[in-house]
Formats: sequence, structure tokens, C-alpha cells
Amino acid sequence: MTSATRPDRSIASKVRPRPRSAVARREAWAAYLFVIPALTGLLVFTALPIVASLVLVFLEYDLLTPATWAGLSNITRIGSDARLFIIYGNTVRLVLGATFLNNLLGLLLAVGLNRAMPWTLRYLLRTSIFFPVLTTTASLAVVWRFLLTQDRGVVNYLIGQLGLDPIPWLSSSGWALISATIYDVWKSCGYLMVIYLAGLQGIPVVYYEAARIDGAGQGQQFLYITLPLISPTAFFAIVISLIGAFQIFDNVWVLTEGGPGDASRVIAMYIYEKAFRGFEMGYASAVSFTLFLILITLTLLQFLGARRWVHYE
Amino acid sequence: MSKHILSAYRISRRTMLRLSGVSIASAALAACAVPAGGSAAGDDDTPEQARVEVIATTSMPVNTFDNSLERAKEQISHIALEVNANGWGAGGWDGYSDTLLTRIAGGEQIDVIMIAIEGLGLLADKKVLVPLDDFLMADPPAQDILQNDVHVTLREMLQVDGQQMEYPFSWNNMVMYYNTAIFEEEGLDPPSNDWNWDDFLETSIQVSRVSGGADDRFAYSFWGSGMFGMAAWFFNNDTSPLTDDWTNSNLLDPKVAATVQFMADLILEHKVAPNPEGWDEWAQFHAGNLVMRTCGRWCIGSSLEADFDTYDIQYQPHQAGPLRTVAGTDGWGISSSSENPQEAWEIVKLLSSTEASLDMVQLGGNIPALRSVAEMPMFADYGPVNTALFYESLDFAATVPSPTNFNIIEPILNRHYATIWNGEKSVEEALAAAHAELQPEMEKIQAA
Repeated sequence: MTSATRPDRSIASKVRPRPRSAVARREAWAAYLFVIPALTGLLVFTALPIVASLVLVFLEYDLLTPATWAGLSNITRIGSDARLFIIYGNTVRLVLGATFLNNLLGLLLAVGLNRAMPWTLRYLLRTSIFFPVLTTTASLAVVWRFLLTQDRGVVNYLIGQLGLDPIPWLSSSGWALISATIYDVWKSCGYLMVIYLAGLQGIPVVYYEAARIDGAGQGQQFLYITLPLISPTAFFAIVISLIGAFQIFDNVWVLTEGGPGDASRVIAMYIYEKAFRGFEMGYASAVSFTLFLILITLTLLQFLGARRWVHYE
Repeated sequence: MSKHILSAYRISRRTMLRLSGVSIASAALAACAVPAGGSAAGDDDTPEQARVEVIATTSMPVNTFDNSLERAKEQISHIALEVNANGWGAGGWDGYSDTLLTRIAGGEQIDVIMIAIEGLGLLADKKVLVPLDDFLMADPPAQDILQNDVHVTLREMLQVDGQQMEYPFSWNNMVMYYNTAIFEEEGLDPPSNDWNWDDFLETSIQVSRVSGGADDRFAYSFWGSGMFGMAAWFFNNDTSPLTDDWTNSNLLDPKVAATVQFMADLILEHKVAPNPEGWDEWAQFHAGNLVMRTCGRWCIGSSLEADFDTYDIQYQPHQAGPLRTVAGTDGWGISSSSENPQEAWEIVKLLSSTEASLDMVQLGGNIPALRSVAEMPMFADYGPVNTALFYESLDFAATVPSPTNFNIIEPILNRHYATIWNGEKSVEEALAAAHAELQPEMEKIQAA
């Protein structure tokens, strides 16, 4: 900014702000009144619990007996908790797998649905793909348990028809997390499909027309028009799906209960177990803050990285 | 249409703010009013009712509570009874106890609490229950029933430090359910009450048809988790995952390893049992795809629902030591936070009554704690031929290990058992890992 564009402070200091009219004040009051419910909700249900969790990190508290000062013991315990590292490992694998596959499938499905087709077919496909998003996770996971059971499970029956050995979908450490990922992708990719579809429909058709006139094929149009112009949508979708994947709880809880052993236990389950099964609220809060810090760091990194690949029109 | 109305009656901001103010004030006044159905001080027309909130498991046949609610309206009209079902959460009574404690910690007003032996230690440790001894002293008929119509084992199971913390309502042991039609088809005699593990294995191999196809028939399935389900096997080999005083891990006892190995072999070596993970033994037993299963009397309920009656029961096969069956009791207790303990006591009696027990019997629920009910013809009517086995086993029943940290140790055991059933760890390896986690937890309660 050059000096010529700087405001003249001496003049500015002499100019008195215009007194606000009574109408403006009333409008401001009305605005505050409308904002208060949402703000109260945010304070009570988000800000206060965060502060309370921070305090709990330094306490030993089992919900029913008075809290006692724990100093830094809950924080130092994190370093020696071998299970925590295994569980974070599972969480990272689930997050990477689910985020990548959800976004890839969501985008591909959106591209497929964005093509010319009879409206009835489009409606049917869109509804079918989105339907799992609307259905409760717990009920669907129960169905998936029946499908994936090793012995007499439907999926293994079909696999058996192909002459292959049954797969221990839920009972093997190698497969349990994969099963949880498959379930999550099936359940969630419809939501991302809708987001990508909205992004695709926002791309002006003229760009494609111009590209076609210039002789660009379908692949080139996708690479050089669709992908760059959908990048803000993709950025949003990746950020929310990544945060959502870190918070996955109910899918895995109902499908495998974190087992066998800790093979599919994820961090949200571990925090819940420490807090509401072991009643170790202090340690659960400390672990929660590790997740909080990881999520903040990842989101910041994504915003920084976005400058390189997200293109706004 | 709404557009026309809005244009006809335009509301200024001032009017809007006034209306908002009036609405808020009205809402505040409404909140101060006496709730419908409650009693207002000085209101002579409405009989004053004490509100008693009961918390019970959703796993109990729901009519047991529905009928009790109706009886409460008729018999003790001065009490407004409300039954609030509490899910199992993950796991059995441990999940139930956790959810219950969380609700209490959340400030929920609860007067009467259903809990089984598995969660009693935890609740007593957290001072959530008041001893019932004073109520019993002041109520000779209730004391008489407890002393003379409830087996001493059941009575003592619900005591902590000699104090009666709960009034027994029902209990369970674990017996072997078997499909009589398949036994007949295979030319097998019903198992005798002194059958051992070798007999059981021989039978299992004979009745199973497992090839990995759609018509697989497994001989047996077990829970693979849960203290109660596993104790049924441990006790019959004269061992337990915890020491007799429930203060130390006993997982390194070779008999524990031998028991778990026997069970693992059923899955991995003999292939007569499925991996318990995801397996629905209720449905498979009724469909004839499973020949034997271990369960308590509550499993009769689902068989009644499914109109399945080609089954009978026998004791668990025995291996070593004295004959023992695992047993666990549940009952009703009074919350230390109850504002109406006397009324809560009335409800405890109502929920433990002969009528409530009969409701449970007819729905195929647990074994009633009242001997008089278990001896009624109706008890035998709603069960298989060998139903008498349920109650008579009490004489040699051993309590399911239920230390105060039950909610912590059961998940530890379950996690490690799972790695045995899928063959990822050897029995010794998994039990050593489980012991390494379990023992420090047991030491915590020793220190407490």
C-alpha cells in the first residue's frame, strides 16, 4: 500500500461519527435478539464444554465423587499409553481410506449423474445413492453385521459361490478395519456426491462449449475445466470428510465394537470408553485434546496447501 | 395464502419486539406453573402423589414392567410410578452400569434401580444404593419372604459387607440348550446330566455339518465374551479368570488356558463352532443351523416368540472339580438420591412380587427368585421338559465373578478372547497379554 492510499489520520480524528438514529439502534437490538439463541447454544454446548474439558485435563474425576487435582499426570500418561498409539494408527488408516474413497466415489458418482439422462433415472439413482445417508447408522450397521458374518454371512455365501474361501470380515484384525471403511464409504459417499453435484452444476456450460470448439475431448474437459473449477468444492468436501472421519464412532461401534482386540478401535471410541466406561474423565479429556490439536493442525495445513491447488473463479 | 395474510397484517419491528417480549414473559410464567399431573401445594382436590422413577434394563421382558405399572395404579395409587428403561450399552451388565452411573451423574432423579450382581459392586462402591436392612426391619412380611421364599445364595449375592443392598427379583444360570429333533435324527440319546467335555466334543463332531456352504450346521456356539458366558465353562473346569476373592487375576492358571484352548479348538481345530463375532445364535438355533448353545432361562423367551419347541436343556458338560453352575442374580434397590425412599420401598416390593415374577415366567424371562413361583406348575409349562434343572442347580451354584471394577475388567477380557477365537494369538499369548492388563486393574481395587 502506498502512502497516497493511507487515510489521513489527522482528518479522520477530527471527523465525529454520525450519531446512530433511533431506528438504527432498534434494528441493532433486534439483530442481537435474533442472534442470542444461536449464540447461547454455541456458548453452552460448544464453548463451555471445551473449557470444561481443558480444566478436566488437570483433574481426576469419575463423575460421582468430587474431583481431585491430578497435575500433569493425565498429560504424561498419554506418552506411556501403548493402546493409544495403536488406536491412533487405526484411526489414521480409517481416516485416509475413508476420506480418499468417499471423495473419489462421491466425485465419480456426481460426474456420472451430471450427464444427460432421463430425469426419472437421475432421480432414482440420486435417491438410491443418497438413501444410506438418511438411514440411521446403527440400524444399517446391524444389517451389515449380518451380511459380513464369517459363517453363514450373505457376502461370504456369494464369495463361496465363486469358489473362494470365506473372508473373516469382522473377526480378523486384518479385515475388521477394512470392513469398517467399506461400510463408511457406502454410508457416506452419497453425501459427498450431492456436494460435488452442486459444484459441478455451478460450472458454466460455456466453458465446455468453448473447449469442444477448440477440439478438447471428454478427458481433457474433465482435467482442465471440471477439476480446476470444482476445486473449491473439493476442498470443502475433503475438509469436512476428513474431520468427520476422525470423529467416526457409531459405525465401528455397532459393526465391530472396536475388535477383534483393538484392531478396529478408533480414537472417538477410546475417548468414550475412557470417559463413560472407565469414568476417567481427566484422561479422556487429555486424549480429546490430542484429537483437537491434530484436527486443528490438519485443517490449517489444508488451508495452507489449498493455495496451491484450489482455484476460485 | 400466507403471503396474503402477511400483506394484510403487516407487523412493524416495534410490534414484533413487543410480541417477542410478551411471548418470552408468557413462557417464563408458564414454566413457573405447576406441571400437569403433578400436585400443587394447597390444592385440596388433587390427591398428592409421590413420584417414583424406576430404572430398569431394556433386556427384561417389557410386559413385566407394563403390568407392574398397571398394578401400581390400582394398588398404590398415592405413588406415580414411572419406568425408565436403560439399554445395555455395549456389553451386558457392565454397559448397563456405565450408562446408569452416567445418567445419575447427569443429575437424573432415580428412585428405584434394577441391577444385577455384576454391577452391584460398582454401584455400592459409588454409594448409589442405600442398604435395605432398615426397610426390612420395619416390614416383617417382606423380611419373611426374603428369608423363607428366596434361596440363601440369591439373598447373599445381593449383599455387600453383610448389608442387603437389593431385594432379589430374578436370577439365571447357564445351561446347555440342544435341539431334540436333530439329536433324534442323528440317533443320539439326550445328554446325561453328568456328561463331560469328551462326551460333548464327540456329540459336537457327530451333529455338525460344516463345509463353508449355505447349508452349514454348527454343533455349538458360545458367546466368546462376557464374564457370565465364559464362567459357565471355567467353573466346570474348577477354575475362574479371577481368584476366589475377586481381587487378583487368575488368567495364568493352567486350567484357564486349558478351558480357553478347548473352546478355541471347537472353532479352529474341530470346526464345529463358528467364530462368535457377528454370529446370531438366536436365529440360527431356531433355524436348525445350530444344534447346541449355552444360555440361561431368558433364552426361552425368543423360542416362545419363534414358536420353537423342539429343544431341551441339560447342565453344562463337566470336566474337573466339584459340579458347579454359574449364577447371577438381579434385584431392585433404592437410590441414595431418592427423595421418596419409603415410596420407593413400596415399589421395590411391587416389582419383586409374585405377580411380577409370574409375568416374567410367562414371557420366558429369567428364573424367579421366589421359590414359590418357581415351584408353580406355570414355571414348568413355559419351558422345556427339563425345566426343573433351572432352579435345582442353585444348590451348587457359584456366583459369577463380580468385583467392583467389573465394568473395566470385562471389556479387557473380551478384547483378548477375540484374538484367540480368530486364531491370531495363541491361548497362552492372549491370556498373558490379558493378565498384564487385568492385574494392574485388580491392584487398584486392592489399594482402594
